[in-house]
Amino acid sequence: MSSLPPTEFSLTVRCEATTLTVLIGGELDHETSDELLSEVSEQLSAGHPPFRDVHLDFGKMTFIDSSGLTALLMIHRRTSAIGAGLHLDNRPPTLERMLQLTNVLDHLTTPPTRTGDQRAEEDDGAGVT
Amino acid sequence: MLVVDRHGRLVRANDAARPILPGAASGVRLHEQVPAWLADAHQQIVETAPPSTVTRALRGNIGDRFFEAHPTVGADGDVMWWLVDDTDRRLAETALSDVRRRSEVLSAVSSTLLSTLNVPRCMEVAAAMAAEHLAEAAVLVAPPQGRRCPLTFARQGAPVVQTTRQVDVAGVPGLAEALQGFPPVPARWINPADIPDWVLPEGFAGPIGSVIVAPLPGHGVPAGALILLRSSTEQAFTEGEEVFARLFAARAGAALSAARLYTEQATITATLMQDLLPPALHRVHGVEYAGSYRASRDHERVGGDFYDVHPGTGPSQETLVVLGDVAGKGLDAAVMTGKIRNTLHALLPLAENHEHVLNLLNGALLTSRHARFATLVLASVRRRADRVRLRLTSAGHMPPLIVRNDGAVEEAATKGTLVGALPAVAARTVETELAPGETCLLYTDGITEARGGPLVDELFGEERLKRALAECVRMPAEAVVERVQMIAAQWLSGGRHDDMAVVAISAPKAGAPTVADGQGGGRPGRSRSSE
Repeated sequence: MSSLPPTEFSLTVRCEATTLTVLIGGELDHETSDELLSEVSEQLSAGHPPFRDVHLDFGKMTFIDSSGLTALLMIHRRTSAIGAGLHLDNRPPTLERMLQLTNVLDHLTTPPTRTGDQRAEEDDGAGVT
Repeated sequence: MLVVDRHGRLVRANDAARPILPGAASGVRLHEQVPAWLADAHQQIVETAPPSTVTRALRGNIGDRFFEAHPTVGADGDVMWWLVDDTDRRLAETALSDVRRRSEVLSAVSSTLLSTLNVPRCMEVAAAMAAEHLAEAAVLVAPPQGRRCPLTFARQGAPVVQTTRQVDVAGVPGLAEALQGFPPVPARWINPADIPDWVLPEGFAGPIGSVIVAPLPGHGVPAGALILLRSSTEQAFTEGEEVFARLFAARAGAALSAARLYTEQATITATLMQDLLPPALHRVHGVEYAGSYRASRDHERVGGDFYDVHPGTGPSQETLVVLGDVAGKGLDAAVMTGKIRNTLHALLPLAENHEHVLNLLNGALLTSRHARFATLVLASVRRRADRVRLRLTSAGHMPPLIVRNDGAVEEAATKGTLVGALPAVAARTVETELAPGETCLLYTDGITEARGGPLVDELFGEERLKRALAECVRMPAEAVVERVQMIAAQWLSGGRHDDMAVVAISAPKAGAPTVADGQGGGRPGRSRSSE
C-alpha cells in the first residue's frame, strides 16, 4: 500500500478575446507557484487588446500551500494594475478554507474599481484607518 | 645525405646536409662533425653489418634540431646516411602530450576542488596542485580580510602551510592588480629580484628564477591570486606554461568562490537561526506558558514559524503572546520573520488594540516587490484573581483552541486578514476567560497539515487535534504542549514535515503555587528587562 504519485504540475492557457483562462493542475506550492505567476504575468503583458477578465481554474489542482497563495496575491496585483477582474473558478475545499481563514477571498475577487494604468494598491501603504 | 667510408671519413655530403653540418667536407672525420650517437652508430654498423643492407633507423639531435638517421651500407662498405629532419613532428608530439597532460590536470583540479566547499581546504588543495603541476612552489593569496591576508604556501614534496599575515601586497609586482581581478602581468616583466621574502615558502631553494602572478577570478569578485615560483636552477616559465597557469587559476578561482559563497550563506543561516530560536517559556505574572518548536527537517531551510512572549511590565499589565507563520521558505522567509518579531516588539505599547497593531505591522511589511505574507495570532493575557483573561486575535491564522475543564474544545471566534500583502487588514478580537486548569493553545499549520497516519498521506487535521486536546483536560501548559507535539510526531511516523510550533497558555489550577513567578531563573522570553 503506497500513496499515489502526486499529479504533475501543469498549466493550460486559453486566450479568448479579452478573457484569459489558466487551468492549474497538480500541486501549487513553493516549487511551482513562481511558474504560475510568470506565466500569467507574461500573458497579461502580451495581451492585445488588454484582458478584461482573468480566470484561474483550480478544478484539477490537488494541493496549495502558502507560496501558492502568495502567487495568487501577486497575480491579483497584476490584474488590478491593468483593470482586469480576477476569477477563481472551481475552488477545491482546501483553497476555499485557506481563502476564508486568511480573509483574502473578497480582496482577490472584488471587481477592480480603478481602471487602466494606475498602480494597483501598493501606494495605499500603511493602510491605517 | 652523407656518405661515410668504413674508416669514419666523410666521402660526400649533399647540398641539404651542408647547412646542418657546416664543417662537412670530404675527408674530415665523422666524429668531429656529428654528435656521438651518430658517430657511434656508424662505427657499429661498419663493424657488424654485412654489405648491401639497410639497418634500423636511429634518432637524435644534431644542433637544436631532431633527426631520424637511416643508414644504408653500400657494396663497397661505405655507409650512406639519410638524415630526415623530424623536428616539427617531434615538437608537435611534445605539444600534444603537453596539452593532454594539462587538460588532465585541469579536469583533476576541477573535480578535486569542486568536491570541497570548505574554503581553507579548497585553498590548500589549489596551492598543492599548483606546486605539483605548475611550479616548484605556489603561494595562494586570498583577498585581504581587514589588513591581513590569508596565505597558503605549498612546495613540491612538502606539507602545505596556511597562515594569516599582514603583508605588503604592493611589494609583489602585479599582485595588488591580480587581487583586484585585473589581467596578469606577463612573467617576463616580473623581476625575480623584486619578490619580497614573505612570498617564499619555508625551505624554498632560492634564489627565484621566474615568477607568475595569476588572478583567481571568482563570480564577479576576485577570489584571490596565485603566485608561482621557480628557482633559478630550473627552466623559466614558457609562454605556454603561463597560459596554462591562467587556465588553472580560472578553475581554482571558480571553485574557491563557490566555496566562499556557500560558507557565507551557511554563516548567515546559522546567525539567523540563532536569533530565531524560540524563547524558553514558563510562568509569568501567575499565568503558565509553554512552547515548543519543531523545525522542519529540511536543514538548509530556515523555518518560517515563530513565537514570542512579551511579559507585561507588572502583574496588572497584559502579557503579549505572538505565534505566527511566514509564507515561503529559506532566507527570505527568515528575514521576514525577524522583521515581524522586531516590529511587534516595538509596537508593544499599542497592544491594547490588536487590529491597530496588525495594521501598523502590515504597513511595515508591505512591499511592491513581492506578496509574501504572514499569518499570526496575538494573545493578550492578564491574570485576574484565579482566572486568566484573554484577548485573542487571528490575522489569517488558525484560531486558538481552548480546552475547557468539562472536556469541551472551543475554537476562538476570531478572524482577520493575513499581514504583509494587502493594503489594509481587518481583524476581529475576541475576549474570553480561562478558569483554573483551562488552557488556550496557539499552533501553526505544521501540526494540522502533518501528513502521515495509517494511510501514510493523510492530513492530521483540526478534528484530530481537537480530540487530542480533549484528552488534555486540566493538564498543565507544558504537558499539553508535549502531548500535542508527541501525537503529531506519532502521526508523522518519521515522514517529512513543515515547521511545527505550539504555545499553550494555562490558568494554574487552584492550590498551585502562584507566587513563584519564575522571573528569576531562565530567560523570560523576550522580556523587556529594562522596565
